[in-house]
Amino acid sequence: MYKNIFKYDEMKRSEHMAVRNTVGWYFWTHQILEITGPDATAFLEYMYPNKIGNLAVGRDRYTTMLNEQGEIIDDVVIMRRAEDKYWVSTLFASKTDDWWYYHQGDYDVEWTEVTEDWAMYAVQGPKSQEVVESLVKDSVKDLKFFAHRDAEIEGIPCLINRGGFTGEKLGYEIYVSQEDGEALEKLLKPAVEKAGGKEVTEFQIMAWTLPTEAGFFYMRDLAHTNPFEVDMAGGINWEKNFIGKEALLKVKEEGPAREMVGFEVPEADIYIRSKQYGGPGEPVFIEGEEEEVGRVSKLVYSYVKEVNNGYILAKKDKLHVGDKIKIHGYDAVITKRCWL
Amino acid sequence: MSKKIEERIPQSSGEGAYFKSYFGVRSPWNKIYSYQESLHYASRFESVLSAAATQALRIIVPDYAERAQLMCEEAYARLYATGKYYGDDDGFGIHPFFCGQFAGALIGDKGDDALLMCGRCQDFGTYRAEKELDVCDWDICGSELCRTTTMSLQGQANASAERRRSGPTMDYLMVEAKGCGDRHCRIIAESREKYPAPPHALWESFGPAVTEEYKKYTEEEDCVSESMMFREECDYHFVNGTNNETDSSNQMINMSTAASLYILPAISESVKRGYVTREQANHILKCVLEAAGKAMFGERYAIKACRDWLGVPDSVGEDGRILGGLMEVLLQSLVCKYEIEAFNKEEVILVIDRAGLEITATRDVPEAHLWMWQGMVKTLVNTQWSVWEEDSPTGKMRVKIAKKIDKFM
Repeated sequence: MYKNIFKYDEMKRSEHMAVRNTVGWYFWTHQILEITGPDATAFLEYMYPNKIGNLAVGRDRYTTMLNEQGEIIDDVVIMRRAEDKYWVSTLFASKTDDWWYYHQGDYDVEWTEVTEDWAMYAVQGPKSQEVVESLVKDSVKDLKFFAHRDAEIEGIPCLINRGGFTGEKLGYEIYVSQEDGEALEKLLKPAVEKAGGKEVTEFQIMAWTLPTEAGFFYMRDLAHTNPFEVDMAGGINWEKNFIGKEALLKVKEEGPAREMVGFEVPEADIYIRSKQYGGPGEPVFIEGEEEEVGRVSKLVYSYVKEVNNGYILAKKDKLHVGDKIKIHGYDAVITKRCWL
Repeated sequence: MSKKIEERIPQSSGEGAYFKSYFGVRSPWNKIYSYQESLHYASRFESVLSAAATQALRIIVPDYAERAQLMCEEAYARLYATGKYYGDDDGFGIHPFFCGQFAGALIGDKGDDALLMCGRCQDFGTYRAEKELDVCDWDICGSELCRTTTMSLQGQANASAERRRSGPTMDYLMVEAKGCGDRHCRIIAESREKYPAPPHALWESFGPAVTEEYKKYTEEEDCVSESMMFREECDYHFVNGTNNETDSSNQMINMSTAASLYILPAISESVKRGYVTREQANHILKCVLEAAGKAMFGERYAIKACRDWLGVPDSVGEDGRILGGLMEVLLQSLVCKYEIEAFNKEEVILVIDRAGLEITATRDVPEAHLWMWQGMVKTLVNTQWSVWEEDSPTGKMRVKIAKKIDKFM
């Protein structure tokens, strides 16, 4: 009953562990909004709470996007492509487009979605550098984390960004034109296999199990939270004005009402609902108490620790690391939000 | 007969009492129905109509397999074509890196919730997806419809896959169906590359799934009775796992019913394939829908319950206003525009915007309603009364409820 959809699946396991042990590659195209204009920096500073202006050309920054209530409505990577040109990598371009348009005011900016022009491939894992170096014309070994550079692979012009969504210290994202995607795949596949890796094909591995082991969030986890509740307030630039600042200052002053904690369920074959599939997630109670203290945001499987792992969005200070609880009748334990 | 509109509760009733923010449906006697209740009413009424229409199809194409195959082929082709041109991937939370046909599950998931078919997604991955429903108002329409809806998913999944990098092919199966007596409806989509199984005919989409052991069965105590858009725990929004968040109630307003989406198009398909002529099909459909309408109020307690539900005062006797009021509640629930030309004890005339009862490519939904109403009036009021269309302006259906003697009725 309820056979674990992760644990016994050798295909998922091998794809996940390729990234952890050697290298994995996968099609990972996100939506890209290209924004230009003399006010591009000022506009993005207003739209996003983290500091944008000090981003050097060729560098990236991860930031949330907030609504007026200080709630996270998107999390993006902003890449500074030129002095007045940025790429914003998102999975919600239509919504972002509307949101920007609504808030543009007098900012002298223009933006366009360039998703259709690009295909992006993730190359992640300890041997990712070896693979990328075997392909590029000029070495990108010196590329720092969250930095990107134009490059060339077998005559294919590309953009290489060092970064990823797996928690691996070494990981790259290769952007090529849509037309060159197939040609790049033909080069990537053997290069990765030569390094002992493989293609990651399962959405659940690239979007759920790998990031969760590292404590990363998919946007579903973040919806209707504020940065303080999900440990993302660290990079906020309080010196500037940004959408949601007023509400967030109040949270800063009063302290967050909730927090995202990690949890594990040792029993393998379980049935616990989580927000990652939609809906509200399984309610969490402290044993013997009637008060609901949280909801299960995510429940996947850590192939590294060999345990069901996930996140609970809980009332602040109600659950502590080591606490033993029951969720939908299953024994669970509260943990840190990292399994690497 | 006069065209008099008797004194009714003004449309602005409640305004002076600061009720401006209340959104609901109102009977002619000021019985107020919440948005939630009215959607449930409309959903079930349309399902009853659809179930009756299915009986017509069963008469036209008596063989089960033949009928199911016809329905599946028609639905697959139409939904595949629609899916190819629709292309609103963003609106379903389908991300650009999704490959293959599994993203079609997101389309089905959202549609289920909008049609009050509440439940939960149990698995969502490149090679397998599972959706479990606790409620389905369409469960009275017949198991052929369960097979057909699965094929519409397949059609949309295949169409959406063509917009993306190629990936695994998925076989969408309804391994449990409330229409077959199961507790849940359960759709499992499996990649045949990863989970091989013998090929099956289009209509044989009931499984079994190869991955039955992964199935997550929700026990009675954890089942839900409302869609996310009506659940406080979901903040009254449909939310899927890819962060698509919306009030999904537009589906009912768009007349996405079993009849409009599947049954009536299948009857049209049966005409195309030569089972019957259009005239014969309409005759059968009219007979069945009128009978179904009559059956709705065959018992006195049903009439009493209907009057009570509509808030009909005792001073209103057996006349066409009762059906007129019931029709108004349905039309308002479906956000179908109509005008009241007459509303008195001798006649009721409603001029209905046809477009509000139609959906693209299914233009005969208003007629199906008319036939149903004609049956309903015979038992809800009495046999002196009839419902017919008369002098309709372009784009409208002018429906008259009045006494009529017809020796060939």
